[in-house]
Amino acid sequence: MNRRRKFVLGIVLSAVLLGLCVHYGTTYDDAWPHPTGDQLAGGGDEYVGDHVLLFGDVQSVHEDSITIHVTDDYGDVAAALEVRNVETTDLEPGGVVQVYGVLESDSTGAHDGTMDAEEIVVVNSSPDAATYKYVASALGGLFAAGFFLRHWRIDLRWLRFEPRAEASPHGTDTLSVDGTKADDTTSSVEEPNGSRDADSEVNERG
Amino acid sequence: MADLLTHVLVAYALGTVASWRLEWLSKRWIAVAMVGAVLPDLNRIGLFVTDPTIEGVLGVPFALDALQTLGGLLVLAGIGTLAFDRYRGRAYGLLLAGGLSHLLLDAVKRYADGQAGTWLFPVTWYRHPTPNLYVSSDPAVLLVAISIAFAIWVIDRRWVDDHEPA
Repeated sequence: MNRRRKFVLGIVLSAVLLGLCVHYGTTYDDAWPHPTGDQLAGGGDEYVGDHVLLFGDVQSVHEDSITIHVTDDYGDVAAALEVRNVETTDLEPGGVVQVYGVLESDSTGAHDGTMDAEEIVVVNSSPDAATYKYVASALGGLFAAGFFLRHWRIDLRWLRFEPRAEASPHGTDTLSVDGTKADDTTSSVEEPNGSRDADSEVNERG
Repeated sequence: MADLLTHVLVAYALGTVASWRLEWLSKRWIAVAMVGAVLPDLNRIGLFVTDPTIEGVLGVPFALDALQTLGGLLVLAGIGTLAFDRYRGRAYGLLLAGGLSHLLLDAVKRYADGQAGTWLFPVTWYRHPTPNLYVSSDPAVLLVAISIAFAIWVIDRRWVDDHEPA
């Protein structure tokens, strides 16, 4: 595939991806069976009495209840709720929880609403738990990139990945049982099971 | 969304086990599946550019979370495949397989209402029941993934060594 064709296809696929994100963003609030932060921000009274699943940031932790903030897409507080019937051991302000239960209005007006949690999932018990996930995920990205770049090199000129010559003593290529090296990407010989890849013969180098 | 290291290790482990049967599945192709396992987490671009910011530019609703769905993965894998000049079917298949392992692992994590996320978009908004196996911030998830990947790495090394030509 020449660079121009690659470029055009890349733009087409990016447009499809953009379309998916727009479609998802447009329909999500209606498709998601529970009120979203944006919907709660617009009042939220119509959900009183409903079974709802909400994601909230923990504000304060008491003996068997917590207060949470549900935020909208902008990160602004859409609703402040008191959630009762919560096992609060290990839970700290700054954590994130999922709560499921019947949404009630708050007669005292101290919050936007209250809920007796029927089910609660501690997503992050504290800000540290969130940090842990970010660090582990960053390591995951680095590990995948490192592993990949050991075997492939990025050819910016032609916008492609080129297999690296293998140097590792353990042979990063498959060794068949009789020890013959089956170097599948650098050799000009077609792979034995070439029928798997109908397009594998495509080899226009620009 | 287990942490990304767990997802990458799972893809490594699955790819390595599959390579014991599939001769063409060398380390360099396992690496492609590991990159595939990263694709659904590209929605984390949202940590740097938020949906409302993009909505402001485009003037229409927008959600990066679409990247963490079946539809998003099918297209992302297609874009990645463009960078391969040969063996495109294989590259696409492995990017997809790695990404699917990510989505499937996420499909069994805990939700308070017992139903998984909307990852089957755009095929359906259906949320299937989840067995509620884990939450991502539990280090036990990563420990299990590291243990499994390490065990498979050891077995694989041994196996490869045993077959090294004399």
